[in-house]
Formats: sequence, structure tokens, C-alpha cells
Amino acid sequence: MDQASKGQATQTLAELERLRRRTRIRAHGGAWLPALGIAVLLLASSALYRHPFAATHSLSVDSPYWAGLPDEQRDPLASYVFWFLCTPLLLAAVGAWYRWRSRSLGLRVAWPLFAGTGLGVLLLLAVLAAVPTQQQQQSDTLNSSPDHFWLAGLLTPLLPIAAAVVALGWAERSRSLTIAGGWIAILTVWLCGWLPMGYLPGWATDLLGGDLTGLVNGTPNSLGGQVGWRPGIWLTLMALPLVTFAAIRGWQSWRAASGG
Amino acid sequence: MRLAILTVLSETRECTFSTLRDELKLTDGNLNRHLRILEQASLLQVVKGYEGRRPTTWLRLTRQGRAALRAEIAALEQLVSRVRDASTAHLDSDTDAP
Repeated sequence: MDQASKGQATQTLAELERLRRRTRIRAHGGAWLPALGIAVLLLASSALYRHPFAATHSLSVDSPYWAGLPDEQRDPLASYVFWFLCTPLLLAAVGAWYRWRSRSLGLRVAWPLFAGTGLGVLLLLAVLAAVPTQQQQQSDTLNSSPDHFWLAGLLTPLLPIAAAVVALGWAERSRSLTIAGGWIAILTVWLCGWLPMGYLPGWATDLLGGDLTGLVNGTPNSLGGQVGWRPGIWLTLMALPLVTFAAIRGWQSWRAASGG
Repeated sequence: MRLAILTVLSETRECTFSTLRDELKLTDGNLNRHLRILEQASLLQVVKGYEGRRPTTWLRLTRQGRAALRAEIAALEQLVSRVRDASTAHLDSDTDAP
């Protein structure tokens, strides 16, 4: 009697697991498109910088960083238009994609959360960037809110993108996408929060160099350093997890559709 | 079958009646009967609307439905592990016997 119950329970569990897996692949098989779209947007934003890959000796950086990262941009207005036009366009295209999929498959994903988060945080960025800042005259240099530099550094269109990717991960129930969004956010906060871009504090330089005595004593031996990579490389690093995800999910979706 | 319905719905925000029917290979009447019972128990929500001009019935798992599915799967897993433990103990006592 007990063995029979066990056999039946095991069979039911296996059948439910198979059903769950099949439904998951069908319902969330469309996540490759928004992931790829965001990756393309990130990579395309390289074109907003004057020297996206080539090394340069002098830079003029304006805040807010409308291009995304604190580096010399070709034209702040073009950067502004790029993010504030292309992001809503991408979200609208993704919305159309999900609507088409729900019509053809009969399965809906919580994509409005993704679109709402992306647009909401982008709007918040526009509002925060429009807040008047107190300017201080120091000798011959004009500084804008020097005490709040760290916070001002976070006024970048890359954070709405990171938030949208995290929301997409939640909507698509994908831990990989959530991690990819977190990765974009961490890189953005680090690169935009401290100047120069790619700055490493003393303890981090010690850690990377394997010199742990400074870390243990609480007094870093190094004065710090800088990862001298250009914006194009950082943007490629941000987009890489999304491209990988899109390739894997696209392949899984194609295999499921072709009955594999 | 009701567990299967809840499982499919747990993997998506909403699912149409026809998709669920095809997925579980049920007839309209049979699926309707199960859905009515699940709806009465507040385990799922039925939303009627239009997809273009075509009337469509969307089904959504409620919070209680999700909790009930989790509890049911946990109970099944517990049953399997309990029977496995019992048979292992039985085998051990057989081997120990002189």
C-alpha cells in the first residue's frame, strides 16, 4: 500500500515537474528579445563618446553624464535625445513583442512591470537632473554642488536601464537577468560615483595585488589606482551577460519550438 | 488534474482557457468543471476579455492558489521521503536479523 502510494506520488511529482518545465520554456522563451535589445542599446551608446575605445590624454566631462559614463561625449544634446528617445522606443517595441507572443501562445508575462520600471526610473532621472543646484564660486573655478558630487554622479541613463533589467528578471523569473541588471548597476555606480572613471581605492589595489597586510591592519599600503579602460570596453562588459543570456534563451526557445 | 492546472498557471502571469485545454489535453466541459471548483476555492481567478475582436478567457493563479500548490507539492515530497525512509529502515532491520 505504502509502496504503491510512493510510486504514485513520485510519478505525479515527475509529471508536474515536466509540465512546469515545458510551460516555463514556452511562457518565458521570449525573454531573449528584450535582453538583446537592451544589450544593443548599451553597445550603441558607445557612439555617443568622442573616444569610445581610443586612449586620450585630456578629457572634458560634463555632469549629468547624459552619455551614460563620465567621459567626453560628442554632444550632450545628442546623448540626451538618444537615451530619452531610444529607451521608450525600445520599451514600446518590447511591449509589442510580448503582446504578439501572448496572442499566439495564450500565455502572458508580467512585462508591464519591466516597461513601467524602465520608464519610471528614466522619468525620475529627468526630474532629479532638473532640480536646480547651488553653485559655489571658488577662486577661478565654478563648482556645482561639490558636497553632493557622489549623488550627482548617479544621474546617468544607465541606472534606469539597470533597473529595467532587474524588473525584467523578476517578470521573466530569471535569476540570470536579475544578476545581469545588478551587474550593470554595480558597474555604473562605481564608474560614475568616483572620478576618474575606473578609480580603485587603496584597499582594492592591495586586494588585487595580493597584498593583504594593509587590509588586515585597516591602513592600505597603496594610494589607489585606476583601471584605464575606455567607455566602449565598460559598455561591452555591461552588455556581455545580456548577450549571453539572449543567445542561450533564444536557442532554448528555438529548440522547444522545433520540438527538440 | 487540478494540480496540473495550478502548475501551468504558476509558471505564467495569465493563461488562456484554450491554451490550458490543449496543454492538458482536456475537453472544454471537463476543464470547465475543474476550473469552477478551483475558482470557488479562490485558488484561481477567471478574467473574461477580448484579444482583438475574439472573446478570450484568461486564467490567473491567486495568492492562495500559489500557496496551495506549494503545500500540495511539499506534502507529496514528504510522502515520498517518508515511504523511502520506512523502506530503508525495513531493509536495515532485515539485514541485521540473525
